Amino acid sequence: MSLKVLNPNAEVLNKSHALHMNINAAKGLQDVLKSNLGPKGTIKMLVGGAGDIKLTKDGNTLLKEMQIQSPTAIMIARTAVAQDETSGDGTTSTVIFIGELMKQSERYIDEGMHPRVLVDGFEIAKRATLQFLEKFKTPVVMGDEPDKEILKMVARTALRTKLYESLADQLTDIVVNAVLCIRKPEEPIDLFMVEIMHMRHKFDVDTRLVEGLVLDHGSRHPDMKRRAENCYILTCNVSLEYEKSEVNAGFFYSSAEQREAMVAAERRSVDERVQKIIDLKNKVCADNDSNFAVFNQKGIDPPSLDLLARAGIIALRRAKRRNMERLVLACGGEAVNSVDDLTPDCLGWAGLVNEHVLGEEKYTFVENVKNPHSCTILIKGPNDHTIAQIKDAVRDGLRAVKNTIEDEAIVLGAGAFEVAARQYLVNEVKKTVKGRAQLGVEAFADALLVVPKILAENSGLDTQDVIIELTGEHDKGNVVGLNLHTGEPIDPQLAGIFDNYSVKRQLINSGPVIASQLLLVDEVIRAGRNMRKPS
Amino acid sequence: MLYCSSILSLRSSYCISFFKFQSKMVGFSMQPYGIQSMLKEGHRHLSGLDEAVIKNIDACKQLAVITRTSLGPNGISISQIILYFFTISLTVDLCMNKMVINHLDKLFVTNDAATIVNELEVQHPAAKLLVLAGKAQQEEIGDGANLTVSFAGELLQNAEELIRMGLHPSEIIVGYTKAINKTIEVLEEMVEKGSENMNVRDKDEVITRMRSSVASKQFGQEEKLCSLIAEACIQVCPKNPANFSVDNVRVAKLLGGGLNNSLVVRGLVLKSDAVGTIKRLENAKVAVFVGGVDTTATETKGTVLIHSADQLENYAKTEEAKVEELIKAVADSGAKVIVSGAAVGEMALHFCERYKLMVLKISSKFELRRFCRTTGAVALLKLSQPNPDDLGYVDSLSVEEIGGARVTVVKNEQGGNSVSTVVLRGSTDSILDDLERAVDDGVNSYKAMCRDSRTVPGAAATEIELAKRLKEFSLKETGLDQYAIAKFAESFEMIPKTLAENAGLNAIEIISSLYAEHASGNTKVGIDLEEGACKDVSTMKIWDLYITKFFALKYAADAACTVLRVDQIIMAKPAGGPRPPAQGAMDED
Repeated sequence: MSLKVLNPNAEVLNKSHALHMNINAAKGLQDVLKSNLGPKGTIKMLVGGAGDIKLTKDGNTLLKEMQIQSPTAIMIARTAVAQDETSGDGTTSTVIFIGELMKQSERYIDEGMHPRVLVDGFEIAKRATLQFLEKFKTPVVMGDEPDKEILKMVARTALRTKLYESLADQLTDIVVNAVLCIRKPEEPIDLFMVEIMHMRHKFDVDTRLVEGLVLDHGSRHPDMKRRAENCYILTCNVSLEYEKSEVNAGFFYSSAEQREAMVAAERRSVDERVQKIIDLKNKVCADNDSNFAVFNQKGIDPPSLDLLARAGIIALRRAKRRNMERLVLACGGEAVNSVDDLTPDCLGWAGLVNEHVLGEEKYTFVENVKNPHSCTILIKGPNDHTIAQIKDAVRDGLRAVKNTIEDEAIVLGAGAFEVAARQYLVNEVKKTVKGRAQLGVEAFADALLVVPKILAENSGLDTQDVIIELTGEHDKGNVVGLNLHTGEPIDPQLAGIFDNYSVKRQLINSGPVIASQLLLVDEVIRAGRNMRKPS
Repeated sequence: MLYCSSILSLRSSYCISFFKFQSKMVGFSMQPYGIQSMLKEGHRHLSGLDEAVIKNIDACKQLAVITRTSLGPNGISISQIILYFFTISLTVDLCMNKMVINHLDKLFVTNDAATIVNELEVQHPAAKLLVLAGKAQQEEIGDGANLTVSFAGELLQNAEELIRMGLHPSEIIVGYTKAINKTIEVLEEMVEKGSENMNVRDKDEVITRMRSSVASKQFGQEEKLCSLIAEACIQVCPKNPANFSVDNVRVAKLLGGGLNNSLVVRGLVLKSDAVGTIKRLENAKVAVFVGGVDTTATETKGTVLIHSADQLENYAKTEEAKVEELIKAVADSGAKVIVSGAAVGEMALHFCERYKLMVLKISSKFELRRFCRTTGAVALLKLSQPNPDDLGYVDSLSVEEIGGARVTVVKNEQGGNSVSTVVLRGSTDSILDDLERAVDDGVNSYKAMCRDSRTVPGAAATEIELAKRLKEFSLKETGLDQYAIAKFAESFEMIPKTLAENAGLNAIEIISSLYAEHASGNTKVGIDLEEGACKDVSTMKIWDLYITKFFALKYAADAACTVLRVDQIIMAKPAGGPRPPAQGAMDED
């Protein structure tokens, strides 16, 4: 052991040991995550160090929160998280697919095959599958008016894997409408323009879409209106509080009058700025019964708040920067950085500005806006873990809708694609490959079947029966998926089960890459200094 | 009571598993297969039906046992002393209540479930879900937390039986979901006709609806308490009752006396003395200054620059003149009282005395805001001459000495719907705290009835009817979920059973005679706990609010289903932090 000579503390695993460690880790991670897959998957409860509870079915959340330590598992988890970042979904599938590739390879390796040959087969199979995906996908035309039904089907498929059915169906409409609301023709969709806000009360089914904005703070003055209709909205980023000078300044005075004058002078510039806003309010609200609200990104100090309150203006201070952007998109007008040249054109408009108090938390609703390009998904739930669960699901739902619009294509779900691709690989591609790489293609093809297998397993169906029935139908030329309730083959098109094209593509792209890397490892060395204290 | 230790102090078992685990971590070449090898050390992983689901149910059941015994007017006759991280239970005769000592060594004697579960610091994750459901109920309605936790516990207990019978948790969830939907349907039918129209200003009507909620906290004293709470609530009820704010009914706890000395003050009771020498005023105008009553100061640091002795002398004079000018301006505006939100300067106080102004200092921002609401004053930021509109008005303002504490009583009869205060008297802090919680519950149920005044029969009549109707419903179902629905129905029996048991009655007899009455069509028959017989609730006048029941049952079913849905638990190593000081044996006293 040459390494032991160099560093007696080093640990080394070589050849088949290293390989098996990797395979075991991949399989172990697959075991953990597989019960989450699909609409019938179960929920995991994560308990944090402080005793906080998180309930989740989302592979991404799970991988992030689990604090994995095994080096191989971390690599796989990173791939899965990357999958989530690029396409928003499919983390669980990635982990399972990688695990299955390793499992299939193990069989061949134990028979004495060299991993390099398998890896070559994977590469061929991957390319062939990607080509097949291009043929297999269903193109959809998005244009100016995307087909809402298709978007809903994709969103529903994604959401049902994260939440229970009735809630998922309700959220489907919400996420589709939210994305369509912020969509501007010819521009990429920026999902940040959908604000996700939560309130801890009532039930999860009270979650709704607010066309407008919900802010999680209220006005800080007791005399301001709690509810205002027909409201002009001024979005600004102007400091309305006295700011001390940068240099260490001091006043010198020798009588109380002088001091009073100083006090007045200190405030003058702030008061002037406030007065400009009040002037504008008086100008636009002079001859109608409309109201006026100021949303300021910077602070407003109590004397300024007082002045604004007396003028009948609702003022919110320290709004989040991204909310300033959303507010302009929702209500119109523009965000101003100075009050020097205020014109009525800078103002937006909302039908209702309303403050809602929930215990000690305050929420401000800006609703009934005209032609909004930003909206808020208001999540409600009786406790934090419900809210967190819905939040993760909504995020994935939004991504699914966005992907569909951008891909202009969808893929049949319920395991239909995987079975079809497997049959294609086995029946056609394999014959064109010469030599032992064939076995790599075969391993890849069998690994694809893991998705329908686990779907069946999680629904309490017999895995073998299901696979035989599905492949049989595919060989007859019917493209079918799995009905999780009955175990019978169904046409995913009729059932409305569609997956994202980009999710599938990313999955097929990244899975084999990481699996190949892991297979080609022949030595694992731990020789770094142990930073932890010996126990 | 051993069960307490099992749910409350998982921490000790954390440690055990932690050590076991370390011995396994020899080198990474020996890594075992499976999830344990992948997680950071100290993690715990529970999965599967036996390890996760049944264990969870077990923990929840035990939590429910604790809360259940304080359900209803006759609580329980043992108390549990629960210390942080380890548990000793004593059977001290302290009728009805539970004695809870939290980690700050604060003692609670209560049978308010919300308080109990809050202070217990439940550690088991599944039991925590139930606690969260109870908390949600407390935040939503302010009452019925006990029903939520106990009922969810009962549902889970029955679910365990179903699992042992061979049902899969997902089938139980389906059944329970169907059952809760049916329950809500039936509950709606149970609503007493005519109760949806209610005059929220009618004291008797209010008391009818409030009584059961208050009685479950303070049995025997509910008549007196209800009338106090109702009076206070009605006084501050705004024109549109839906806008009723719980914050407007204040509670002032004053040690000494007894409940019979308690009273309702229309206005505020401040637990502080007046600053100056004037302690009593009537029919006076009030000026409120947030920023304190003192000389004005610049934000930037100011320095007095003095060149000669003359200037020094003059400076003090100009200062005095300035303050006098300000105080005089306030006095000239007609105000007789100055309320300051911050410090009151010595010099300012001197001039206030000279101009015969009463001075109050209220340092809490919220209290000051309430004071403004009571008096109708507009709070001014700086000491300056107030506009006539900005002044508030009080009928009387007096410093009184009640039970050794000086309090300022602010009365404002004309103010209409502003703020009212229930002054509670009691002999110990614990009694006062418990009374306060009863008042809070009462006020919250007033709020609930302002939102939705519908009532359903109380005294377990509703529960028996629901049980009966759901059982009928389950017989019509064909699938496996019929068993779950039947068990759901059975769970309702827990309530009459507990009520009867806590009152020392024979539960089985009571339940069977209740069923008999309900089967013959008397849907409003409940338990009369005093006589130990079944009676029509309309003669006993025990009504529960529909909305409280609705939310409690729904949250309970939600929580139970969530617990059932979980089949794997992954626990991180508990975060470090200072260990609590080792607790010795309880002091003898």
